[in-house]
Amino acid sequence: MTRRTRLILAGICSVLIAPAVVVVILHIPAFGHHPLPYGDAINRGTVARRHVTNMVTAVNFDYRAFDTLGEELMLVAAVTGTLVLLRGRRGENVSDRPARAPDRPVCERSEAVTLACRIFLPLIVAFGIYVVLHAQLTPGGGFQGGAIIASGTLLLYLGESYRLWRRLVRSLLFDMLEAAGAIVLVLCGLGPMVRGHAFLENVLPLGQSGALLCGGLILVENAGVALAVTAGFILLLLEFLEETRAAREDEKS
Amino acid sequence: MTALLVLMFLLVAGTGAGVVLAREPRRQALALAVNGVALALLFVVLRAPDVAYSEIAVGTALVPLMFLAVLVSLKTDRPQP
Repeated sequence: MTRRTRLILAGICSVLIAPAVVVVILHIPAFGHHPLPYGDAINRGTVARRHVTNMVTAVNFDYRAFDTLGEELMLVAAVTGTLVLLRGRRGENVSDRPARAPDRPVCERSEAVTLACRIFLPLIVAFGIYVVLHAQLTPGGGFQGGAIIASGTLLLYLGESYRLWRRLVRSLLFDMLEAAGAIVLVLCGLGPMVRGHAFLENVLPLGQSGALLCGGLILVENAGVALAVTAGFILLLLEFLEETRAAREDEKS
Repeated sequence: MTALLVLMFLLVAGTGAGVVLAREPRRQALALAVNGVALALLFVVLRAPDVAYSEIAVGTALVPLMFLAVLVSLKTDRPQP
């Protein structure tokens, strides 16, 4: 199909779809006027029932914690599958020597980049930890904070060196942390059953609303998710960037 | 719908079109990151800060980064001329 035919086809389709789009946009309910009762019900009683002030966390880790458990196991399975595919024949052996692309010059890091990374790395990791710890109070949570921490570790690579990054961020440690996160979540489900409660029922003391320690089991589940997400993303980054190495004969030890 | 919201929608549409129109893969990965920022701003305006957080962390940082890593790997594997 030539470019001209495609453009004509796209034009015809746009003209056909445009009226429907306009009709749909005109009938969108006004902001805040949603027709479903659940959001209002959650907003009304959650602070009294669960002592947390972030409703999203209450839904994620309490009312619909079962969904989060499924998502978490799915994430762990996806990360594991990706790691198996990317590691392939290489196995768990990693090298801390970076690859060289043949047609690209090697540039020295500027001191400004190193300085900026040294300033921002601790700030970003601290912010990630803050987001994880305040899941029950303010927006954010284990997933968001975990992703922030994981991407923050890349500043080691950017600002210092590939070698230092590979030495400090060990694959084995994060393999174990990821599994630990998933296990914490499963135990959160099974634990209450030992005492005769329902799966994932919030049986821990709820604490004082507004304090850092409130929400009972929500805190533990949030920590499990944070562990699994941090470790999972760090592993993905490690493996993806490992892939950028060309396996040269003289580099094999 | 406020003017701010309209502006955000236009921003998202514009940056989204940018992703499609950028034909060079590396530029496309960066355009995707810009689109992620625009989406996160839209979510903030719509008072969904939790989603905005996820969008910033995953859509703006991690996904474009993995695209870039894969692109570098494709370059590395190309045999020397």
